[in-house]
Amino acid sequence: MLEVQKVSKLYTNRRGVDGIDFSMSRGEIVGFLGPNGAGKTTTMRMITGYLNPTRGQILVDGVSMADHPKQVRRKIGYLPETPPLYPEMRVRDYLKFVADLRDVPARSQKKRIGEVVEMLGLSGREGQVIRGLSKGYRQRLGLAQAILHEPDLLVLDEPTSGLDPKQIIEIRKLIRELGEKHTVLLSTHILPEVNSICNRVLIINQGKIVSDGRPDELAGSLTERFEVTLTVRGLQGELVEALSAIPEVAEVTVLTASSASETPAAGDAQASAAAGSPHPQDGGASIVRLKVVSADHTDVREALFFRLAALGRPILEMNKVSLSLEDVFLKLTTDEQVDLVEPSGESGADAAAPTAAETAALARPAASADPASSAASTAPASSTASADLASSTASAAPASSTASADPARTDAEETAKGEDDHA
Amino acid sequence: MRRLWAICRKELQLYFFSPTVYVAFAFYFLVSGFFFSMDFLGNQTVDVRPLFSNFMVIYLFVIPLLTMRLVSDEMRQGTDELLLTSPASLTEIVVGKYLAAVILQFLLVVGALIYPFILSRFGALDLPVMWLSFLSLFLLGAAMMAVGLFASTLSAHQMVAGIAGFAMILILWMLEWLSGSILPKGGEWLQLFSISARTVNLQKGLLDWSDIIFYVSFIVVFVVLSIQALERKRLR
Repeated sequence: MLEVQKVSKLYTNRRGVDGIDFSMSRGEIVGFLGPNGAGKTTTMRMITGYLNPTRGQILVDGVSMADHPKQVRRKIGYLPETPPLYPEMRVRDYLKFVADLRDVPARSQKKRIGEVVEMLGLSGREGQVIRGLSKGYRQRLGLAQAILHEPDLLVLDEPTSGLDPKQIIEIRKLIRELGEKHTVLLSTHILPEVNSICNRVLIINQGKIVSDGRPDELAGSLTERFEVTLTVRGLQGELVEALSAIPEVAEVTVLTASSASETPAAGDAQASAAAGSPHPQDGGASIVRLKVVSADHTDVREALFFRLAALGRPILEMNKVSLSLEDVFLKLTTDEQVDLVEPSGESGADAAAPTAAETAALARPAASADPASSAASTAPASSTASADLASSTASAAPASSTASADPARTDAEETAKGEDDHA
Repeated sequence: MRRLWAICRKELQLYFFSPTVYVAFAFYFLVSGFFFSMDFLGNQTVDVRPLFSNFMVIYLFVIPLLTMRLVSDEMRQGTDELLLTSPASLTEIVVGKYLAAVILQFLLVVGALIYPFILSRFGALDLPVMWLSFLSLFLLGAAMMAVGLFASTLSAHQMVAGIAGFAMILILWMLEWLSGSILPKGGEWLQLFSISARTVNLQKGLLDWSDIIFYVSFIVVFVVLSIQALERKRLR
């Protein structure tokens, strides 16, 4: 149906799209997901022929956009980010104009316009001037314009942006209905939307496709490893050392410690009194949140329990981690960000391997460090990293203050707060 | 062809939905009517010739006003995404828009026929001179429309497009004077390209085909330039 072959759009002064390569088969509803400025709109504009790609080619039903633009464009319906409407025109005149423009045969125009108006709930508004339509109706009219000529491929750029929740639900329902007849490519940065509409997700970041799969598979593929988060009362250094010694455990990362380990004076009195700590540099026993990743997919929870019981360190919380789509998205897009800071890792989604220093800057990706890098992120390294994190979240923004790091940062702050409450 | 007419029809609809056209027409008839009455009542002669230089000057102001929104408004509203992703080719889009502008120009010229009509009540007119003068007026206006259309492809802001169009037309107009004063040597050569100088023969009642070919090719050049300017946007 649609083949996008190694398409790039290069700009001199800003990031474009770099080597996008995917194909869609008939009847798919594909969600195109990515943070702002990732290249979603640019890619869609190239697919619809609004922009010419710098490199690569786009085929619809095996016909190239560059060679036969008219033939290909006839098969595509496109709803840009802002619906392309003429505010001065009436709804009926506008649809008539689009029908002429899109080669809808004169005989069937009236019938087709009637059908579309009916389908999108625009009945009774045909005589209205577009300027007077509400945002929701404009979006519907934009959709009407896109499906008027019964295209095989429907390209929708953020079809639900700027709508109220009720309208969003209606538009989604419509898209699902449209998906029964058409192949749909829609872009969004709203994650639940993808879950509810699409049967395939493409995640794009920094102009590259970083992931491709079914929404549920996508989450599954990234949770192949067995991950557990632990909240333990104890000494940070001791815990990391003890847990790393368990043979099944591949990696231990400290997420947060309730008392800053470098400044013992700041540690809370209750904790140090309870433990009577022999290690002054640890600032006494505290509540430590850890992330434990098992070597292969073995369940390490029991081993963790017995080991900590033997140490006399109570487990306050233990969670098996499963990634939601949101996590997948964050992970993929923020890992990519980290790679840019220090371009040592591969750009592939699953191969992204942030080093310990980098994970310190971003709390969330630290949780999902690749097993391959576990050797590098040794226990002391990760503990100092977490100390850095704790102090930096308390005082100011972490080193990387890019937009996509923001959610990660707030997450870290929240967990830090939660820890304080515990203490 | 149907797409071309669809675009032309839509442009005309939008013209008459927007106040700009009414303001431009009102301005045109107000000022030309004023000059007409001054000439006619002042000299008390039945002569159409003095009228045309006035019309031409008014065109200088009215035509950029009429063409400035042609393409720039599409870019501002994002409707260029509709046009450029439709099966219509850029040629169809641009020619359709230009056709709408020329129809408007035709209305301006036809509207101005009222003055010779009034004059004809008071005496016999030199009809060949009158018709050729109106032809020159139409050709000049159509050429200016093409320049205005091209200016409109350059910016998404109507005002910028309007001012750019005005400046371009003014320069093409001034080539006549520039040729005499500033460039004494290449002057004659430059004068060939002045859009206003080409009306002189027609308004004397001389039908020189080179003048007509000049205007037609001038229009073609600017329409092609407009298509190219839009084509470049795809490569942005």
